[in-house]
Parts: sequence; C-alpha cells; structure tokens
Amino acid sequence: MATSPSKPGAWAYVRAAFIAFHLVAISLMAMPAPGGGMSRSAWKDPTVQAEFRAWTDRVNAMGADVTQQEFEDRLWDFATGFMKARTKVLAPLGPYFKYTGAKQSWRMFVAPHRFPARLEFRVRIDGDWQTIYRARSDEYTWLGTELDHDRMRSAQFRYGWSQYAGTYRRFSDHYAARALEDYPDADAFMSVFYKYRTLSPEEARSGMDIEGRYISARVVNR
Amino acid sequence: MRLVDRFVRFFDQREPATPLALVRILLGLTTVLTIGSVVIHGLVPVLWFDIADGGYRSHPQGPWLVQLLGGVRPDVVWRLVALSLIGGTAMIAGVGGRFAALVTALSFRAVTGINSHTGGSYDLLLSNALFLAVLAPTTRTLSVDCKLRTGSWTDDTPQHSWVRWLFVYQIVLTYWTTGLQKVSSHWTPGGDFSALYYILQQPSWHRADMRWIASAFPLTQLGTATSWFWEILAPLWLLAVYYAATREREGRARRWFNRLYVREIFAILGVVFHVAIHVFMNVGPFSLVSLAFYPALYSHEELSRVIRRFSPVRSA
Repeated sequence: MATSPSKPGAWAYVRAAFIAFHLVAISLMAMPAPGGGMSRSAWKDPTVQAEFRAWTDRVNAMGADVTQQEFEDRLWDFATGFMKARTKVLAPLGPYFKYTGAKQSWRMFVAPHRFPARLEFRVRIDGDWQTIYRARSDEYTWLGTELDHDRMRSAQFRYGWSQYAGTYRRFSDHYAARALEDYPDADAFMSVFYKYRTLSPEEARSGMDIEGRYISARVVNR
Repeated sequence: MRLVDRFVRFFDQREPATPLALVRILLGLTTVLTIGSVVIHGLVPVLWFDIADGGYRSHPQGPWLVQLLGGVRPDVVWRLVALSLIGGTAMIAGVGGRFAALVTALSFRAVTGINSHTGGSYDLLLSNALFLAVLAPTTRTLSVDCKLRTGSWTDDTPQHSWVRWLFVYQIVLTYWTTGLQKVSSHWTPGGDFSALYYILQQPSWHRADMRWIASAFPLTQLGTATSWFWEILAPLWLLAVYYAATREREGRARRWFNRLYVREIFAILGVVFHVAIHVFMNVGPFSLVSLAFYPALYSHEELSRVIRRFSPVRSA
C-alpha cells in the first residue's frame, strides 16, 4: 500500500505545482485538432469528400439545411479560427514541449482511407516497363525489406497525398538513382501510385477485383 | 482538508518502485527494438541522412539537439543512433539511473525527429514515456543498480510514486483524445461501424491482403464499436485505477468500480486490441510502447503478487 509522510514539506508543494502544470499543458495540447488535415487539397480527396457527404446527410437529417459545399466552408472557417486560437494558447508552452518531448498529437486512424494509394516502382528495359517493386507484393520485391519497413510505410502513406508532392518527388529521385544502378540495362525509372477504392465487404465476398487508376507518375531518365 | 493539500498529499505518496521498474524495462526494450530495426534493415542513411549524404530529404531544420551537435551529418546521426541503443540497453538492465533514461530520451527524440515523415504517434508516445522515466526512480528495484547498491535484485524501500500516476494519465489521455478524433461515419454510432474492416484493407498498414476478413465483417464491426467506446470512455479507466489504489476509502462509485473490475476490463481490452493490431497490422512499435505503460496501472503489491504467482522459485 502507498504511504505518505504525515506532513508534506515545501518541496512537495513545488512538485505538485509542476505536476499540475504538466497535466494542464499536455491536456491542452492533446485536445482534438485538425493539424496536418488543414489542407484544402487534402479535403478534395475522395475519402475526405465521402466523409463530408456522410456528415452533411447527418446534420441535414437532424434538421439543418446545408449543402455539402456550405458544410465544408463552415467547417473550414471554424477549423481555421480554432487552430489560430489553439496556436495562441499553446505558444507559451512551446519551449516546454520542445525540450521535454512532451508534445501531444493523437490523430490516429481518424477515418479509414477508402481510396488508398499503393506505391509501385518500374524500370524501362528495351522499351518495356517492368515492375520491380509494389507495396505488399510477394512478386515485385526490389528493396522490399527496406521499403516495407514500418517507417517507410509511414512515408509512403503520406506521399500518396497531394500536399506532399515536393517530398514525393525527391523520394522518387532517390530510388530512381538506386534502381538505375541496380538495373544497368534500364534507361528510365518510374515511380507511381495506384489509387483505388477499397472493396466493401459485399464486393470482397463476391470475389470482385479492385479497380483504380495510376496517379502521381514520376519518370526519371538515365 | 483543502483540495490543494489533498492534491499535494496524493502526489507525495511513496511505494516500492516495482511498477516504475517494469515500465522502464519495457521502454528500454521498445527503444532498442525500434532503433535496432532501422539499423538492421540498413535504413539509417535513407531515413535520417541529408540528401547530400545518401538520404532522400533535406533536413535544414533538424531537432534542437541535432542543431546543437552540428546539424544533420552522418557522424552526428550515427552517434545519436548508438546512444539510443546504449541508453535503451542500460534501461533494460537498470544501469545508470535517471541519466540512462535522459540519454535515451534525448538521443531517441533527436534522431527520430530528423524526418517526421518516417515515424508516427509511436515515436511521440515513446518520447513522452522516456521523459517521464527521467523523472522517476525507475532503477531502485529490478536493476543492476539495485544489485550493486543492496546486493539484491529487488528493493522494496518506498519511493515517490507520483510519476506512476503521470504514466497512467498519459496513456489514458492518449487513448481518450484519439477516440475523440475518430469522427468518421465509419467509427461513430449512427454509422455502420466498418472502420476496422476498411482500415485493414489499407495497403500502408496491413501485413497481408485482408480481403478475406470480409467473411468476418460482423466481428470487425464488433471490434470497431468496442474499440471506439473503449477509447471514448477511457477517463473512466483513470478513475478505476484511482479507485483501485484507494479501495480502503468509502464511496459507492469506488465500491462498484472495484467490484466490477472496471480497471481490469479496460486493461484486458487494451491488451486484446494491441495484440490484434500487432498481428494484423504493421504500425511500428505502437502496441509495444502502449503496453509498456500498463504496469503503471497496478501497485507494487498487486504486481508482486503476480510475479510471485508466476515465479519458478516459490517462497516457503
């Protein structure tokens, strides 16, 4: 059983003040916030659009009368104002989070990505494009143990979103250089995402195949 | 008694440091595994070096410690990697007290902070936990430090236990606020509770093609609803841990929480979710770092009972 001294000393009060400060600081920072989701281009993604559609239907069913566009605009205005206020409130706490590592951000799987993007690398040999890497494939496994590592999965997940286009380009260039070295007969490298709608349970049970389209293709010539 | 005095008194309590020692061991293990995995896979240069040195990104603004050490240079990165591994190993063994935790916390945060695109909430949670480990007397028992100091591997001398409560608060806050942000119509009541099914279809995170799980869709719906309510109701878990720690006091709510094993139900569900996540998904060390907090949910007496029960050497 925990024991405590009969009368806490002055040091106990100082410690309690620090504990109170820490609890308030981390609680404030952990409160829900859109963070990196504040991107109009990301809001255009079909996964996000489907969520807006579902929520517009919900609020209308509760008696509101808004179009999806109005709902999005109001949410954007609210989120922008909220983020400004949040930044102001958290600003004095910045050094504490920076030096202690007590930063809080727990936006994990806020929504399933119904339109994920799967990374592929290809090289062109004698005019034919040959796939050398496909995420989660047992067949196309060039640098598979590296590219399938959990930290690379995080990167690939991000680079499927349009707001990371710049870094995705550098990511592709990095692997282009390595692929053209590993495949001396290749005269070009392509990095591309296959973006598709995940199957509903009914579709998966019926044996339907996924269908999608290739996006964000980047070709690097030797 | 004034509220302030009660607060001060609560956080002035002492107990043997067994829960904190177990948390320390698990945090050290998690650090070694997550950094070691990067080293073994040959990923240090590509993840954390600058583009000019073999990485794929430029890192002009590295974390403050990296800047202090001279910027994102290969020698700096490798030193931080080595310190993380040495610090993590020292934490497992219980060598170096708070200093080992400090070295681990600083080096881990610095190196993983170089490229935020190649990490996730698990880095943040581990950083938080390592910071708390710096504040706690985690090597007072179940450690080499203890063996050298007392001649025994364990020492039941009461220590300040306030950091144990910060561990509990942190993990509950993490679960609760992640639940609050799961606002998708696939997660929330009124929707079809299909979130887990669809998340398992995402190639970024699943270990293998998960289309087969469509045949067990109702089970995934149950999992979605249970995990959402479990997260949203996480503050009750905090209350349950507090009630369990103060079970000798009066109060109807306290009595019912303890009688219904609310703390245990939350903990068991947490273990089940984390094991399931680990089996079906590759989200890095998230499950391991989360479970590292769990010993803090229990007191020294409770953990000692469990250790004694499973110990191969039983006292007469």
